[in-house]
Amino acid sequence: MIAMIRTRPLLSLLAAAAFTLMLGPVVILTGVAFTAGETLAFPPEGLSLRWFSAALDYPPFIDAFGTSLLVAAVSTVLALALGVPATLALNRGRVPGRKAVEGLFFAPVIVPELVLSLALFQQVMVGMRVTALGALVVGHTVLLLPYTVRVVGASLALADPRLEEAARGLGSGPVRTFFTVTLPVMAPGIVSATILAFITSLNNVPLSLLLTGPGVATLPVEMLNYVQSSFDPVVAAVSVLLLALSVAVAFATERVAGFTKVFGR
Amino acid sequence: MLRRVPMAALLIPGLAVLLFAFGYPVAATLAWPPDGDPATVARETGSLLTDPYLLPVIARTVRVSVLTTAICLLLGFPVAYLISRAPARWSGRLLVLAIFPLLLNTVVRTYGWIVVLGGNGLISEVSEALGLGRVQLLYTETAIVLGLVQLFLPLMILSCYSSLSQQDRRLEEAARGLGSSPGRAFRTVVLPLATPGALVGCTLVFAGAVTAFTTPQLLGGTRERLLSTLLYSRVNVSLDWPSASAIALVMTALVLAVSALSGRLGKIGSTSS
Amino acid sequence: MTPVVELDRVGHRFAAKGGAGTTAVADLDLAVRRGEFTTLLGPSGCGKTTTLRMIAGFLRPTSGRILLEGADATRTPPEKRNIGMVFQSYALFPHMTLLDNVGYGLRARKVPAAEARERAGQALELVGLSHAAGRKPAELSGGQQQRVALARAVAIRPSVLLLDEPLSNLDARLRVQMRRELLQVQRETGLTAILVTHDQDEALELSDTMVILNGGRLEQQGAPRDVFPRPASRFVAEFLGYDNFPELPGRGPATIRPEHVRLLPAGEREDGGDTGLDGTVAAVTYQGAGCLVEAGIDGAEGPGSAVRCLHPADDLRPGDRVRIVLPARHLVELPAGEQR
Repeated sequence: MIAMIRTRPLLSLLAAAAFTLMLGPVVILTGVAFTAGETLAFPPEGLSLRWFSAALDYPPFIDAFGTSLLVAAVSTVLALALGVPATLALNRGRVPGRKAVEGLFFAPVIVPELVLSLALFQQVMVGMRVTALGALVVGHTVLLLPYTVRVVGASLALADPRLEEAARGLGSGPVRTFFTVTLPVMAPGIVSATILAFITSLNNVPLSLLLTGPGVATLPVEMLNYVQSSFDPVVAAVSVLLLALSVAVAFATERVAGFTKVFGR
Repeated sequence: MLRRVPMAALLIPGLAVLLFAFGYPVAATLAWPPDGDPATVARETGSLLTDPYLLPVIARTVRVSVLTTAICLLLGFPVAYLISRAPARWSGRLLVLAIFPLLLNTVVRTYGWIVVLGGNGLISEVSEALGLGRVQLLYTETAIVLGLVQLFLPLMILSCYSSLSQQDRRLEEAARGLGSSPGRAFRTVVLPLATPGALVGCTLVFAGAVTAFTTPQLLGGTRERLLSTLLYSRVNVSLDWPSASAIALVMTALVLAVSALSGRLGKIGSTSS
Repeated sequence: MTPVVELDRVGHRFAAKGGAGTTAVADLDLAVRRGEFTTLLGPSGCGKTTTLRMIAGFLRPTSGRILLEGADATRTPPEKRNIGMVFQSYALFPHMTLLDNVGYGLRARKVPAAEARERAGQALELVGLSHAAGRKPAELSGGQQQRVALARAVAIRPSVLLLDEPLSNLDARLRVQMRRELLQVQRETGLTAILVTHDQDEALELSDTMVILNGGRLEQQGAPRDVFPRPASRFVAEFLGYDNFPELPGRGPATIRPEHVRLLPAGEREDGGDTGLDGTVAAVTYQGAGCLVEAGIDGAEGPGSAVRCLHPADDLRPGDRVRIVLPARHLVELPAGEQR
């Protein structure tokens, strides 16, 4: 590594700048969270955990975290329930206009999330009188669908389709073949897709932004609203809690499916 | 029995949800908002593109996105290169470090900048200590670009890395063996071969920057509006839905135009190389 | 005359987590004379590729010195060494035409464009690919890519041509043909060449000098016609395809090729000077032109108690008594105590 830095000084310098930009603000925010003072300041004025207890005593954050977890869980399950059969058909079935159909499933990626948020707010919440929670679940399901189709599809595309033919040739029926061959082949993809989809939903802001109702908002949106009206370090404390959670998720992911495999695509 | 059902039927539930929860609402909102009709949206879009207040917002959005993309490329490519060429032990760690920010929501990632850039922030303190007086970088275009670069660097790194990690490392050695300095080998072999990945990265970052909301909202405030924050205020503050639809239309068009353009560029690149 | 390449007690240890590391090459001395074709031969992991990469400058020795044209080049970067390297994967630049690939090293040397084009063209002609100068590498077959890689390395008129298993990605028939072409190009250009290979036939056919490595150490070095009939160790013998390792009573280990062993009826005597042993036929395998006969040496036990012999007639059966003759001309006595 040191040899590389020596032969590529300019590139190493740029890379160092990149890592500073990416991680610096998060590191500073972590410091701020432990301040004993009243305002956002770095270096912190004295050390205390007061803002952590303030964060945990603030009901809207707790409620919003509950909402976020619920929406993430339900929409992840729905996106898998819709996406896995679809990717199975796209990868293994005879689908007329396969490329075009695949394009439809990836279309939500192209449309700006804020536009989808506006659309769901206008047409589904206002137009059809669906609750904010319902709209959030629907919206997040649409948002996650491309991820599940792509990630599970990738593991299917890697597997030899003749595996299934081999199983059939050995006397296994279509249902048995599905459960003994196809499903195990897809399993790593499904695990990856689940983790990726859940985290994507949990972190989303633009789509959830307009899909709020009385007492219903996701945690990132609640944090955003709080930050805009107040300058105390409560959100810094919440951020550190989320950071700790993310580190835990990262370690768990590394054990279950490989961190870079899941998040590095 | 099962054999009779064609596999394609498995697509129906997904397509139905896409139609109901995506295709229809988006089309309706872009063309037929509750308070208006296609004519109003067209009129609003027209005035958006000529209004002396709104035109700068579009220009600023494009400028900020272009700048963000350029800086991400400048900083992200070297990271991707180092990761792809570092000894295995290091490359794994650096890759994890580069990806990890993707696990944090944008508020967490952006909020730190307020501490760094604010009137009482880190940079301002340092500048005052140096006798240069206080500086307020918060709520400027610079702040937005910094925040967006931080946000989108992982995407650029991953895109470039996917190209770079597939390159045969012997190509670089071959170039060195034939008499190229490290710099020349990088310019004539590594860089041209990594263009497709870099192009994908640029498209992703540009599209992301055009549509990002949290960062311009927190770091640009009401002073430096971008299309996304303007759209939000049209919905939440002025309740002007046809205008919001017009902004949404322009935003979508920008993203589609760039991905179409980069798709074409990618094709040109692949036939000439 | 100064050797083109000289290694002076060169070693390379790969660092590893926790300290120890592995020694890839240890205390290697080597001198390659101008115009000579030298082969580094050995099984995978013997240090031959590491050695080549150190000569090229892609790896720095952790001990010892490398001299190129008599000057210390241990710390010289690869681009300043004037080497022509051919890689196992060819490493042709996929975004350049063949002509641009072959001309790459000339452009790096600031050779004027017109001259560079002409020399690149000549190099392509040397390998018979002038007609494809405008094509991209992906449009070529493996053998053709191989030729381009060779032309690219030759075009810069290197002081030494380094070949890292250049033929191992080709199918068997093409490999034999390319060997001839490689040798022809080397003779025509008069270039000094160092080839890394694990293929003994390749080494025997191409080399002026073959250098056999084992575990990063020099095992034996010399001209093929000196090394092949006289392996210096059991390792070299095994690597060169010897598979008969009888233990001679009172004399220790030896090796001999089965086709050189003769079997006489029991009671007959060998010529003076040859070694003769009494034995019993243990197994006979019919092989058309003759039989492969395995005969046990009287009074011997364990490995080394049997000799295999390519016997020209099908007249022996298990249990027959024979006189095993090991002609002095072909019998190689090996150093004792080698653990294998």
